[in-house]
Amino acid sequence: MKLFKILLLLPFIVFSDADDMYVIKGGMTFLPDGSFAKKDILVDEGQIILVADTIGDVGAENIIDAEGKYVTPGLIVFSSLGLLEIGALSQTNDTSSDIYNAGFDPSKAYNPFSQAVRLNRAKGVSSTVHVPGASGYFSGLLTYTKINDGYKQKKQGPLGLVTSYGESYGDSRAANLMFMEDLFDFVRSANDGDADEVQFIEGTNNEYKFTKRDLKAIRKVLNREMPLVIQVSKATDILNVLKFADNQEVDLVLWGAAEAHMVADEIARAGVPVILDPLDNIPGSFDSLNATYENVIRLNEAGVEMAFYYAQGAGAHNAYLATQSAGNSVAMGLDYGSAMKAITSNPAEIFGLVGVGSIAPGFDADLVVWDGDPLELMSNVENVLIDGMDQDLSNRYEELTERYTKEKELPNSYRSRE
Amino acid sequence: MIRKLLVILVALVLYGCSGEDGLFSSKAEGSVTNYDEDLHGTYASTYVPLDSKNIVIRNATVFDGIGNKFQNYDVHFSDGEIQAIGSELIVDGADEIDGTGKFITPGIIDNHSHMGVYPAPGVRTSSDGNEATNPVTAEVWAEHSVWSQDPQYKLALAGGITTFHVLPGSANLFGGRGVTLKNVSANTVPDMKFPGAPHSLKMACGENPKRVYSSRGPSTRMGNVAGYRDAWIGAEKYKKSLEKDPSQRNLRNETLVGVLDGEILVHNHCYRADEMATMINISEEFGYKVSTFHHGVEAYKIADLLADEGICAALWADWWGFKHEAYDMSIANIAIVDQARGGTGCAIVHSDSASGIQRLNQEAAKALAAGRRAGFDISEGRAMTWITKNPAKSLGILDQTGTLEQGKDADLVIWSGNPFSVYTKAEQVYIDGALTFDKATNFMPHTDFDLGIKEWEDK
Repeated sequence: MKLFKILLLLPFIVFSDADDMYVIKGGMTFLPDGSFAKKDILVDEGQIILVADTIGDVGAENIIDAEGKYVTPGLIVFSSLGLLEIGALSQTNDTSSDIYNAGFDPSKAYNPFSQAVRLNRAKGVSSTVHVPGASGYFSGLLTYTKINDGYKQKKQGPLGLVTSYGESYGDSRAANLMFMEDLFDFVRSANDGDADEVQFIEGTNNEYKFTKRDLKAIRKVLNREMPLVIQVSKATDILNVLKFADNQEVDLVLWGAAEAHMVADEIARAGVPVILDPLDNIPGSFDSLNATYENVIRLNEAGVEMAFYYAQGAGAHNAYLATQSAGNSVAMGLDYGSAMKAITSNPAEIFGLVGVGSIAPGFDADLVVWDGDPLELMSNVENVLIDGMDQDLSNRYEELTERYTKEKELPNSYRSRE
Repeated sequence: MIRKLLVILVALVLYGCSGEDGLFSSKAEGSVTNYDEDLHGTYASTYVPLDSKNIVIRNATVFDGIGNKFQNYDVHFSDGEIQAIGSELIVDGADEIDGTGKFITPGIIDNHSHMGVYPAPGVRTSSDGNEATNPVTAEVWAEHSVWSQDPQYKLALAGGITTFHVLPGSANLFGGRGVTLKNVSANTVPDMKFPGAPHSLKMACGENPKRVYSSRGPSTRMGNVAGYRDAWIGAEKYKKSLEKDPSQRNLRNETLVGVLDGEILVHNHCYRADEMATMINISEEFGYKVSTFHHGVEAYKIADLLADEGICAALWADWWGFKHEAYDMSIANIAIVDQARGGTGCAIVHSDSASGIQRLNQEAAKALAAGRRAGFDISEGRAMTWITKNPAKSLGILDQTGTLEQGKDADLVIWSGNPFSVYTKAEQVYIDGALTFDKATNFMPHTDFDLGIKEWEDK
């Protein structure tokens, strides 16, 4: 049977450039069913061709020995990686826009050579869902980008329209709902040929102007081409946005959702996924008084699909620490498979990303080889493949470390960069 | 226990007889200051421990906090103190806990927290950490902002935190005095104060003060430095004038003179290596000592200097990039500082975060892994000192807590497994021998703020 499969693949293999071929041998491999099993993985032309107990000699030039190691899909993080270099320096921060709102796509500003991109790649991240920074009523669009080395990245999207509901809005949260209802009704009734810029609800002193680009993004949500992604914490607010999405017949994804556990069954019944950090257990606002480590446990029990991000500490620069969030969720009682999926395949599933997030034939070869349990704090990344290419994992921070630990005879500025 | 009662008695005596020399009067020759009675008189700790257990934990893996890791070890504590650690201890009359598979560590200490002064929920009305009205506010005390009902304390307790140091924020060159607290539930701040812990002074370098005061100054790093030096010159003058008029009061200078007299410990927020070196120069000019640099993202660049000067560095495992002065990160920062000059460095893992404080053991694990990856041979026992002994030393309370040595406060944690694993949880936390957190029975303090809110939670 195995031989048969390889024979079927042979024509493909023969015509491909052997440089692109990889066999990752003998690693404990994270499979789509949520378990680890010892497998060989054949990669060619950027894709996973075969996952089998053993793969013989197929002429691949690149063999990665993963015996005694772990292999997972590349981490898919939610972050502003490549959109900002230094958080507090606005000159280096391209995460938000004052000109556009709903139609703002920050991924156009993506810088593949950002030091944060390089560090996160070295830590096992293969791609990011770009999250626009909050600015105005809508933050903008979610988009997906591989973070491979070089100028060219595969992108997918837009994936969703980001807004928030609750105390972050300046007005009453009741008005917030009314506004959204009125806006959506307006966009439904407006024609594509309307003026480029529309001041919504004329006669009021609101500042919400929508360009044609913004209206187009909202229309995509109304046409159910992408979900509305609402950052919301409070349980009653979550119920309100569930009802809103149902009435408006739009798809919904909840973001943050610190009190989601209190209405877990309602979220599950609505079939709405939740993107959150399991570590958010502080009653940091009056919207999240019931924040708890139990959040993910109760959501999982109710059958809610989840994806995790890491929101502690320095944020986007350490997006790779989604592994720490996932590891802690296991410590809280979540099963390992669900935790690992929440940082690999679930982000892909929730946003309908094509061909990423799992180790199976036909998927992009975004793979990470770890020297130990990938969710453990002390494990290291050994290889990262993105689209079948073994990535350069060097980064400025390893160089700084080396500069100050080796060759101490000369002043540091004279020391080698290698 | 007896020692603790003594501290309280002395405090009462001082309170009753202000002006008389007490146990804590300044040791500096010729110094006539009157901050001593504030330090340990009116505002002294009124902490009274809960009843201590008499317990021996058997057959556990024990980190002593000094640098050792012992297998199959016993820990005995009673009367609020560590009585003994060793293998197969002979103990009469103590309750026995089977520690098989468990790990014991000293209570975890965070020397950089803003719990209480930036409590949860984070709203303007209780945001009390930065007196950002003047670059020099050495006169304010963080303990006078601390909210005793902050619901964040118990979250830290569930992460094994038994002692934490609350600092004013970093808006000012001199932010004010910090306070060291036992992580206990109390209705007043003195009831939480760590008995006899020295006061501290928060100073801040770099971007924050020059940003906050950009319109009135300082607006540059050189402006910052002139600001520190001006303030110290003022303190010297004040100290001299006390000889003529010992009865005068000046809150700002009382704090600064407290530093010059070696009674108050300097905790200096400072990211860049060159700025830390400048701050050491300033300390030499005015004859005080920096206890600890906090947030030193670039500490690894001057690790040898810090070791030579005997200055601790309280650092994050991996925070970086959120501001310019946090750009030159090395994940091996903590390890490099620790290993400087043949392992004589004083490295501390701090949180500066109500989230991070809940998992200081995990932050230490990441720093340990990074150190090993950078080629250092560092044991788990050594890494444990980064969150126990070293922060205790930095806060001037190492004679009371921070290690599992005989006679120390029985502040300790029983972990479900190795504390350097992400899957490990604190199961029980003891403070002065009293059980303050028990995961199995969901026993923990609840602040008044929690009542009526967390209905889903077992109380």
